[in-house]
Amino acid sequence: MKLLHLARVHLGAMAVLLALTLSACLLVAGLPRLTQAAFDDALHEALLKAPAERIDLTTTMTSDSPAQDLGDARQFEKLHGDLRELLPAPLDRLIASAGASTGHSAAKTYGTPVEGSGGKRYINLAWLSDRERRVTWVEGRAPGDPSMTTWHNQHITLFEVGMVREAMTMLGLKVGDTQILGENNYSAIKIVGVFEAKDPADRYWSHNEDIRHLLTHRPAGSLEEELHATALISDTGLSKLSGRDRNLTYSWVLPLRPQAATALDVPDLGPAVMEFERRMKVADGLLPRQILRTGLPELLGVFQAGLATAQTVMYLVLGGLLVVALGVILLAVQLLVDRMDQALGLMRARGGALRQVARLGAGLVALAVVPAALIGYGLSYLFPGPVLPLVHVGPLLVVVVAVAFAAARIAVTHRTPLNERRDDVATARPSAKRITLEVLVVGLALAGAYLLRTRGLTTDVRSEGQDPFLLLVPLALALAAGLITMRCYPYPLRLLVRITARMRPAVPFLGLTRAARARSFSVLPVLILLPALGVSVFASVISGGVADTQRLAAWQSVGAPATIASEIELPPDVIERVRRVPGVTGVVPAQAATVQVGYTPEQAQLLAVDLGRWRELLGGSPITLPSPGTASSGIPALVSSGLSGRGTFEIGWNSRLKVTATGELDALPGFFTEGKFMVVPFDVGQRPVVNTLLVGGNPAMEALREAAPDTVVKTQATALAQIQDDPLTSTVRTTLLVVTIALAVYALVAVVITLVIGAADRARALSFLRTLGLSDRQAQRLTVLEVMPMILVTALVGLALGLGLPAALGPGVDLSAYAGGLPVGDYELDLVTPVALAAGLTVVAVLGAYAHTAISRRRSLGAVLRVGDLS
Amino acid sequence: MNPTLSELEAQASQGKAAFGGDAHIVCDNLVRIYKTEGVEVVALQGLDLLVQKGELLAIVGASGSGKSTLLNVLSGLDVPTAGVAKVGGMDLLSMTAKDRLRYRREVVGFIWQQTARNLLPYLSARENVELPMKLAGKARRGRAAELLELLGVGYCADRTTPEMSGGEQQRVAIAVALANAPQLVLADEPTGELDSETSGQVFDALRKANRELGVTVVVVTHDPLVSEQVDRTVGIRDGRTSSETLRREDAEGQIIAEEYAVLDRVGRLQLPRDFMNALEMERRVRLELESDHIGVWPAREESSGEQ
Repeated sequence: MKLLHLARVHLGAMAVLLALTLSACLLVAGLPRLTQAAFDDALHEALLKAPAERIDLTTTMTSDSPAQDLGDARQFEKLHGDLRELLPAPLDRLIASAGASTGHSAAKTYGTPVEGSGGKRYINLAWLSDRERRVTWVEGRAPGDPSMTTWHNQHITLFEVGMVREAMTMLGLKVGDTQILGENNYSAIKIVGVFEAKDPADRYWSHNEDIRHLLTHRPAGSLEEELHATALISDTGLSKLSGRDRNLTYSWVLPLRPQAATALDVPDLGPAVMEFERRMKVADGLLPRQILRTGLPELLGVFQAGLATAQTVMYLVLGGLLVVALGVILLAVQLLVDRMDQALGLMRARGGALRQVARLGAGLVALAVVPAALIGYGLSYLFPGPVLPLVHVGPLLVVVVAVAFAAARIAVTHRTPLNERRDDVATARPSAKRITLEVLVVGLALAGAYLLRTRGLTTDVRSEGQDPFLLLVPLALALAAGLITMRCYPYPLRLLVRITARMRPAVPFLGLTRAARARSFSVLPVLILLPALGVSVFASVISGGVADTQRLAAWQSVGAPATIASEIELPPDVIERVRRVPGVTGVVPAQAATVQVGYTPEQAQLLAVDLGRWRELLGGSPITLPSPGTASSGIPALVSSGLSGRGTFEIGWNSRLKVTATGELDALPGFFTEGKFMVVPFDVGQRPVVNTLLVGGNPAMEALREAAPDTVVKTQATALAQIQDDPLTSTVRTTLLVVTIALAVYALVAVVITLVIGAADRARALSFLRTLGLSDRQAQRLTVLEVMPMILVTALVGLALGLGLPAALGPGVDLSAYAGGLPVGDYELDLVTPVALAAGLTVVAVLGAYAHTAISRRRSLGAVLRVGDLS
Repeated sequence: MNPTLSELEAQASQGKAAFGGDAHIVCDNLVRIYKTEGVEVVALQGLDLLVQKGELLAIVGASGSGKSTLLNVLSGLDVPTAGVAKVGGMDLLSMTAKDRLRYRREVVGFIWQQTARNLLPYLSARENVELPMKLAGKARRGRAAELLELLGVGYCADRTTPEMSGGEQQRVAIAVALANAPQLVLADEPTGELDSETSGQVFDALRKANRELGVTVVVVTHDPLVSEQVDRTVGIRDGRTSSETLRREDAEGQIIAEEYAVLDRVGRLQLPRDFMNALEMERRVRLELESDHIGVWPAREESSGEQ
């Protein structure tokens, strides 16, 4: 029989299958790309935020003798080439070429003293390979060739140099000045020009801060600061610079291109950096004492901690989505196969081999699934992001599973034609094999969950990658919950049936009886609805937990809707201006200070504030303030653990005060989280010096800044925005949202398809009952009652599963990276969203049942009875 | 002289082959039990049936007597629980899946009562007839048209099911059943949904197949029009053959129908219920062997003195 002919006959079911496969493949192939793209963005942002010095690979080598001196730029270029050759595979791709980006080479002396300064002033000499591109001369001229001069009867080299204005001012130099450098091997410098960076904001300068600024350094035990300036010399000057006379290092910056890095590279980059260092140590032709300076492995380590969690959550929800999508597709396949059942049965009876019949059915399914999967796969290329293996594997998996399921189902149904298919006299009972298998699945799931809680996951996600255990356990749990539900659900229902049998109305009895005995209560709808609800509730709990913790973290970092801190006293008019800023509901003044504890050098942080008034500002916030104690003598103070146990002690603030510890604090939101600190009442000093304001209400940050210039303004809203404005966080939340919506839609589709599959059977039963006097309204109630128990029970179990999953997986999922560093712990069960999800699904399913009866009512009784008349 | 072992073996195998002999269909003590939740439904309880090659046979019986089960067993769609069922020498109980497929492809064809169930509604009559041939992998050009023409529905070749009347559909269904030139055609109430005139046409088509193609035809029917026109009618009651009606033409050309009760191999006999009711026979009867018949008497004390 021609496939296309058959496809045209079953156009509706084919279209459903096509749409489902298309959407599933699009989601399964597209979402991972999207998330991976977001991970890449996050990586780029993390890399760009870090100073170039930290992410670039800087190799330094030292010259010990004239033989090792590098006299001209070409030698630098050659060594740069040699270094690049040594780069191992993943790094090689990420490193820009020599002149691009921040890449350059340099020769710098270090610790070059100015003669006669007593070791207090240093002027180092530096040569930069790309000096012309980087600096502009604002006074004098660029340094020229070195010459010789005589000093104390010695012939010494005179370098022409240029410096930045800042260094010259601090050192008291001007253009034209000459300085003698060194303590035994002398040389002279003549300042011929003043330069500035062409683009001070360029990341390049993080490698050469010493050239752009004068650095100060106070050696231990010294009272005076050393001043270190660095002066630029010319190319010809470089040839006169020798490692014999000076501490001379050569450096090559191999610039990392942040945009080229992808999150997938991250695990390999750390080892690659180590490999590069190793190769450098054993390579020939390099100068001695090679040192590799880079903060890349550490930076990536921190990034990866956040990434691993994001990936875990993504894997979980995407895995759930894939399972649910597959389930719904299988349900649609079942619909199509059921529609074909009569034709296939007839073919089988008329001498069709099992293989022929199965091939036909599978071919028809493939006809819908393969093009849909191809289109979905193609459309997924519209999403940004790298092509992961999952992008190919996902759609392929969908196709294979759908076609294989169709073939297997047809093969099982039509293995023996008509044999045991007389549903009127024989119903299949579960075999012992099947029950054993189900018990095994439930046992494995419980054991898995137990192990996950006790053993936790593999601790080394960085090197080992994701723990597949984490993925399998929730899946197994969902499966186990589904199996238990399916097996146990008819029993209470039958009890209910017995009760309704004694009642007068017939509809509840009939409806529940049908529900308890219905064949339509098959495995698939439960196995779809359960994970769908479970994962979406899990997703909403997780995202709710993250949102709450983010809010908490924001409050904890600020301590009030807004705070204003100043280094000097805030005059009353400023306070009054702040009070009048729109949105401000209250201002609580406070004094922050560093005080001396007792008469020792020990110091502690102090905040003098009226805790009662502060608390009034915090209406509706998740943080709580301690209550001030009362002390019989001295000033009552809440102290940190570092200060506790001292009873009453003196502090040196504006005057000597005697304070009594009345309680212990772990942290004070917005102010102290560690170290020694104390909180005292506001008016303990002789004259309050207000330098901190706690502002209530919802004021705009800019308005507060205007009202109180030269202060540090923090608002809770900005802090929250900062925490939330992280590519990883927003990706996690967006994906959770998309997946939740997709799952809800899939659940709905599953319910509708289940209804449609059982439609013919139900229509016949209803028609029979209608000939016995069942009204339309009763027919509707009957249908709803028939579907309700399944949906209700599944919704409840799914809800419980979703709420239980975070607890079950607790140790495996650490979301602190998304919540401003606070651990997202004991998920505060905000039941509103999950319950709304479950209830919404139930309501929609019930509406679907109503709609279904309304449609089937249009068919005439005669037609239904005649078609269904199978004696 | 005592028989030798080989003689005994030969005797044993001869004895076994004796029942049914070379009959086309042999059912011996056929049992089919459906198990449902804790209850067993015995659809066939030791049914015996012999059908000769080329015979046109009707099976009649009340609803639930096991007619359809018997037909399903014979068509290879159902497997009996116990007993013997052979068609053309093929044992239906011990067939492998492959044999069963070959059996359905080459040996048997069948027609269901529901006209709609016999044909795929979206295929034309010719395509429907060609389907079994294609499935068997031996489609022959023209065969479908020949069959349709033979059965008088050649004009329907390009019509789909909804475009044909019930009688036409059933005749096309007969053509479908005959597509692979089977030796046996089974029909389950083929005229059950048709008016008497159309039934006549359909039955004529069946008889044509029987006469002209030499196919053995077994028809399950309620229709007296059908059962009166076949050579032999077998009645089934409670899962057993209970009676047989033979029709033959007498010297004057009139059809004489004689109804017989079926005696099984171990000597069991089902008495017609109305006979039993008339003489209030219950539980026990008295039998007496006479020279040319066996007398059956109610087991009543006062009747012991009669005769």
